[in-house]
Amino acid sequence: MSAEYKIAFDAERCVACHGCVVACKAWRERPLGVYCRRIERIWRQGEGMPRLRHASINCQHCAEPACMEVCPEHAISKNAEGIVLVDERKCVGCRSCEVACDFDVPQFPGDGEEKMVKCDLCVGRYDREKEEPPCVATCPTRALKLVKVSPEEKKTSEAALLALLKSGE
Amino acid sequence: MERNRDRAGMSRRTFLKASGAAAVGAACTALLPFGPFTLAEAEAVAAQTGETVVPTWCGMCGPAGNCAVYAFVKDGKFTRVAGMKEAPQNKGGLCCKSHAAPQWVYSPDRLTTPLRRVGKRGEGRFEPVSWDDALKIVADTLKEQKERFGPESLAILSPARRNYSEYLYRFLMAHGSPNYAHSGICAMQLSFSFAYTVGARPAPDYKNADVILIWGKQPVYSGPPLGSAVALVDAWRRKARIYAIKPSLEADGGFVTDWVPVRPGTDAALALAMLHVVTREGLIDRAFVETWCYGYDRLAEHVKQYSPAWAEKVCGVPAVQIEEMARTYATTPKAAIDFGNGLEHAPSASSAIRAVAMLMAITGHLDRPGCNVFGGPASTMPARRSVHMKERYTQEWVDKLVGPEFPRAFQPFQEGTSAAYPRIFEDVLKDKPTIHAVIAPGTQPAVSTRNPRGVLKALEKVDFYAVIDTHRTADMNWADIVLPALTPYEIDHPFEVRGPFIMARNKVIEPVGQGRSMQQIMLDLGVVMGYGADFWNGDLRACMDWQLEPLGMTLEELRSHRTGIRYEPAGKPAFEKYEKVFTTKSSRLNRAPFLAQGKVALYNTQFEEAGFAPMPEWVEPAESVTGTPELLEKFPFVLSDYHTSRSFSAGWQRNVPFLREVEKEPCLHIHPESARARGIADGDMVTVTSPHGSLTVRAEYYPGIRKDTVMLLHGWWQGCKELGLPDMPLLDGGANVNLLYTPDLAKCCDPLITAMGSQTLVNVSKA
Repeated sequence: MSAEYKIAFDAERCVACHGCVVACKAWRERPLGVYCRRIERIWRQGEGMPRLRHASINCQHCAEPACMEVCPEHAISKNAEGIVLVDERKCVGCRSCEVACDFDVPQFPGDGEEKMVKCDLCVGRYDREKEEPPCVATCPTRALKLVKVSPEEKKTSEAALLALLKSGE
Repeated sequence: MERNRDRAGMSRRTFLKASGAAAVGAACTALLPFGPFTLAEAEAVAAQTGETVVPTWCGMCGPAGNCAVYAFVKDGKFTRVAGMKEAPQNKGGLCCKSHAAPQWVYSPDRLTTPLRRVGKRGEGRFEPVSWDDALKIVADTLKEQKERFGPESLAILSPARRNYSEYLYRFLMAHGSPNYAHSGICAMQLSFSFAYTVGARPAPDYKNADVILIWGKQPVYSGPPLGSAVALVDAWRRKARIYAIKPSLEADGGFVTDWVPVRPGTDAALALAMLHVVTREGLIDRAFVETWCYGYDRLAEHVKQYSPAWAEKVCGVPAVQIEEMARTYATTPKAAIDFGNGLEHAPSASSAIRAVAMLMAITGHLDRPGCNVFGGPASTMPARRSVHMKERYTQEWVDKLVGPEFPRAFQPFQEGTSAAYPRIFEDVLKDKPTIHAVIAPGTQPAVSTRNPRGVLKALEKVDFYAVIDTHRTADMNWADIVLPALTPYEIDHPFEVRGPFIMARNKVIEPVGQGRSMQQIMLDLGVVMGYGADFWNGDLRACMDWQLEPLGMTLEELRSHRTGIRYEPAGKPAFEKYEKVFTTKSSRLNRAPFLAQGKVALYNTQFEEAGFAPMPEWVEPAESVTGTPELLEKFPFVLSDYHTSRSFSAGWQRNVPFLREVEKEPCLHIHPESARARGIADGDMVTVTSPHGSLTVRAEYYPGIRKDTVMLLHGWWQGCKELGLPDMPLLDGGANVNLLYTPDLAKCCDPLITAMGSQTLVNVSKA
């Protein structure tokens, strides 16, 4: 089975400094209101005290992308390295992907620009063997890591992130 | 170590190969890899893209140089920053503020020309004037007032961004005024209380501690790339026991084992009860106490009144938890306390800080591995010269202080003589004030000190008010003269020192508008005032070179080291330096030691002689659960504010869109149970009313806050034009939390260190 790229996230390291969120916006010149990475706060009741966790969320480049399944225009595809990409020329902004995605990843800038935008792992911008995307590179606690994993491992981490997001009060 | 792995090996060929792989959907504007970089890597990228790269210091947070960056410039425009791998302090890491710097520099709120007020105070009508005219107006006014009222009629308010504080002090020294008005809420209150109790301010040895008490501090927001956030995560991962002593858990809430939910402003009660437990149970280092402490028996007797059961009523922490924490701390050999600004914001602040220092001392946790340690190994870097001119201080100088921050007997303290910021405005409102001119260089009194109503009245009344800043400020409309300052990205000075690392600041872009640097403005004003001989006749380069002389280099020689110079450590860290630290000379005119007996001052004879309490004692906040129970029916919640945030520097940068997107609006943290009981839904707009004013803000359900407490971030007033967010009112109906606190400084402030209380009682209802 082929190895696929994704950005692994370790909630036991994330302090929610938001460096990744703004690094993505600054380096990729994302418009206001568009978040290709965002941070969610998750409160849980722990032993005798509330427990706080954060999730720094970008496109999971899923093993079996739900967005790709539902796109009526076949605008979403997965490349040989497991990176899920959207073809702006084909996207008509129907937002089916937005409904399908478990992680609320697809973004629509608005103002007449209705094509879907999301994390593309900065494909083509750096050498993935040696470099890191800006969100990963800026993280002070190394909660983010660019990894190459099997589709099975991807599924496991997708389930773990979903469980984390659903564990909140 | 992973973050520092060598990426220099990437050749042009692999770079092009990588870029050639640009696939469908990659909406690239330019093909370049991302930081952090070494200089060679950054320049290789810039060469590919037709950019230039400038190594320099991030300028987004105070008080001085922190993280080092590579700034990228395209066609004369500052575009983005990457972390500098060579810098030992941030090692390439950057926080969200750093990445948003270009938006701050190019904000539509930038001040670009000197302005003279033509409308009424507060109206906001100005006309542009030349620098020569503006400086002449300031100088003529100050000269005339010096003649009529004496030089002490000038007060300069301390800025939140402070790498130019010394230049403000120098101007005051040359002019003859001691009235540098310090905020009373940041750092100096801790430094003073520690210095006069244990001789110096000891830092927590995070790396080696088995137990850590995070007390009134947010390690994550204190510069996340600079080590404290990493140290916290590392301590959590190696299973240290970590107590968070604070009314509300924030980003550190995921990395603590115990939450000690103290009520705002009651840390002294908690610390006194911990002293009660350790003295009652004898959980002390007897040898240390006998050799190095003065007044143990009197302290042990004194704290008998502060039982955990008593403290539970006052501070809201269960007595059993107080006892458990006190015992765990006292009996764990490697235990450290990471204290922060939260201890500095109450009328009992000096008692809280002194009690914490005493706790470290008597339990044997001072200057030992894994505990709180004095100083690190100093580097071999010679100290630069200070521009302050402290050598000119005299007793007369101290006598002329208006509303001293610390009692005259203890002035000057480490930074110099200081007045208490809010007392300057109190003086202005008197029938015959001493203060006739106020300068606000990088500070916004209407939102950054207590009693904003009184501040605005004083700004209406004061004879002369000048604002010097980079961007539009909260109370600029009251100023007679506004001088535009440059951001740190538009200037090539000052050089900055952080630990063993020194590096020149480099100009990233040409100035936006006609601003000048704060340092240059103070030199220029000095020259126009006739103080040129003290101000290098306006030659800033000469001023920088003079400061660098002890290092044996000029500014240009330092600048030739493009990624700075890192000096070697002076020696191995030493512990138990009691003899040296406990005899540290103070900064007072007579240089008498901080500790009269050369021992930890459990009983402080110096304070007693000056008319202050010799031992820490409990003082109720102006309004509190146990101090003013009669108010609880009408105002059932305790309110306080957060001192720091992840995305803004004090009251600044709400106008930076990328940062404002992170924290879009002021939110009142309220426990869901408390909110539901009042019919308040998550996200509802609420009115927050104290006996002194009211705010209108959004409620945010927050399970990590005490049920009887609500909190919000301070410093809100500024809108963000790019996001269509308007300015908020400075007084009622806005989100300026200072409005809610008592305007009575006698009740608000600590009598010894003028720490300003940030707690009151409020009602919260749907707006």
